[in-house]
Amino acid sequence: MYRQKYIFLLPGLLVLVAIILFPLLFTIRVSFSSWDVYNPGLNWIGGENYARLWEDARYWEALIRLTFLTVATVTLQYTLGFALALLVWRDIAARRFFRVLFLVPMMTTPVVMSVIWRTIFHESLGPLNPILEAIGIDAQPWLSDAGFALAAVMIVEVWQWTPFMFLLLLAGLLSLPNEPFLAARIDGAGPIRTFLSVTLPMMGAISVGAILIRLIEASKLMETVYVLTSGGPGTATETTSYYIYIRGMRDFQIGYSASLSLTYLIVMSVALTLIAKALIRLMVKDRT
Amino acid sequence: MAEIVLERLAHAYAPGAPYALKPLQLTWRNGGTYALLGPSGCGKSTMLNIISGLLRPSEGRVLFDGRDVTALDTGVRNIAQVFQVPVIYKSMTVGENLGFPLVCRGAPAAKIKARVEAVAERLGLAPILSKPANALTADLKQLVSLGRGLVREDVAAILLDEPLTVIDPQLKFDLRRILKEINEEFRLTMVLVTHDQTEALTFAEEIVVMNHGEVVQMGSPTELFERPETEHVGWFIGSPAMNFLPALLEKDRIIVPGTDLSVAAPAALPQGNLKIGFRPEHATLSPMAGDLEGKVTRIWFEGADEVLGIDWNAHRVKVRVSGTSPARIGEAVSIAVPTNRLCVFLDGRRLHLG
Repeated sequence: MYRQKYIFLLPGLLVLVAIILFPLLFTIRVSFSSWDVYNPGLNWIGGENYARLWEDARYWEALIRLTFLTVATVTLQYTLGFALALLVWRDIAARRFFRVLFLVPMMTTPVVMSVIWRTIFHESLGPLNPILEAIGIDAQPWLSDAGFALAAVMIVEVWQWTPFMFLLLLAGLLSLPNEPFLAARIDGAGPIRTFLSVTLPMMGAISVGAILIRLIEASKLMETVYVLTSGGPGTATETTSYYIYIRGMRDFQIGYSASLSLTYLIVMSVALTLIAKALIRLMVKDRT
Repeated sequence: MAEIVLERLAHAYAPGAPYALKPLQLTWRNGGTYALLGPSGCGKSTMLNIISGLLRPSEGRVLFDGRDVTALDTGVRNIAQVFQVPVIYKSMTVGENLGFPLVCRGAPAAKIKARVEAVAERLGLAPILSKPANALTADLKQLVSLGRGLVREDVAAILLDEPLTVIDPQLKFDLRRILKEINEEFRLTMVLVTHDQTEALTFAEEIVVMNHGEVVQMGSPTELFERPETEHVGWFIGSPAMNFLPALLEKDRIIVPGTDLSVAAPAALPQGNLKIGFRPEHATLSPMAGDLEGKVTRIWFEGADEVLGIDWNAHRVKVRVSGTSPARIGEAVSIAVPTNRLCVFLDGRRLHLG
């Protein structure tokens, strides 16, 4: 019945194959080859790339670092974003002004802002250290110490993406019905209890949505690291995608970087699926 | 449980803005059932929110048992309110929902448990106490909302803001019965806001009819039905609405020209737009020449009754007859209305005739 429907679906399916399926299949094939700058081409070396990857400590370290960065920054973004959204949710003076102000970081280009932040963090020329010294805190080696460099990356990430959380959570707050809040007032609940028993449960679904979008985006963290620290000092701020970039685009080990990408894709898909399920179980109470 | 007095109460949403609620004076006795009836936007929800403390009136005072509560916050007024949309705390079980007002007030756990169990037993929620409240149907959620009000022993009044609107018709009937039983059992003052006259007439002992922010009439269902103070009440209460026909003064009688409908005019009758009104229930088909003759243009079936639409002089008069009437569409009929059933309205307000 309605065989002609396939004719109408065909253009869409063709585009889908061209832009998603083909690159994926090609990457899989490339990952079983030793394609590099000396021997470009699709030879067959079996699972050699994957065996090498298994031994590659730098790759796994980058993955663990990325996990830490992602979880930490997204948690901070969620907390800060929620707090800001709660702040401008109700009637306060200049509410519109603040709503726009909070969104500015999100609208800037990550690379450009990373350049500006690199200047801010600059140990001798940047403004941050003099400011710290002025208020009695010692100057810090922001980009040359492993711990501080990691902190710098996190600060930029949080600065740039908290507005996104803010925007989504504010939209969520504004869409909440008013009656539960009235009921809580009548039942005698204070502000903290109202937040925990009324606001937070009702924000469960949108929170999970916002957190997942940010987790997916943050797990691809690359341009901030590239501009701010280039993964350094050493490999202290190297993330997975930045490491894959080094192997693929700098060392031109196309075959090996393909295997890295695929492994990364699988790890991320599995991890994010599990996280999504856990978050939904934890935060969404709307299910009946 | 309290007597509620609204003293010279009025509200405007902004200084200088027109009244959303025009100045009024009302007393609701302890344990009574009241209904605020009126079309959407007539100010009934404004009045309810003022009583519950969600809104502070711009003028006048609210007294509970003689105590001025106008400035008190909702939480300390001991009011329970059931909203149009069932409100449950979705992360909690039915039992936790019922106990929430007590938890907020820091009641001891044993007392909360006892109260929740008692209320759940009364409302028939006992078997589902440990279920997540979010999984319930709308009518059960509404019962949980009500239960949250009942769980406090010192609750002054229960305010019901169109609580039956989203409930299925059959369950609506059950819920109304439960409300009535609760009122009789606990002697709680209950105020029902509704735009459904059937709901108001069957639930309340006294009905406050509102229109355009003004209390038009307050009285028992019978009073509203028999002696509507304004044309609006006559039209709003009763199904079908009251019939109104243009009238004029002729010598010492107010008559509807072209009919035998007439009422003795009072001594000093001010100038104005006169109308004679009568209920479709009070008119009868008359085999002989009656008060008014017209042509049947429509017949509505209403179970044991029929409502006839009779066209007379570009007006449609409705008559309720019990059983099946012999009249057919297109047929000329004659109707009679007892004189004591006729109401005269001058510029929309009923004239009090002797």
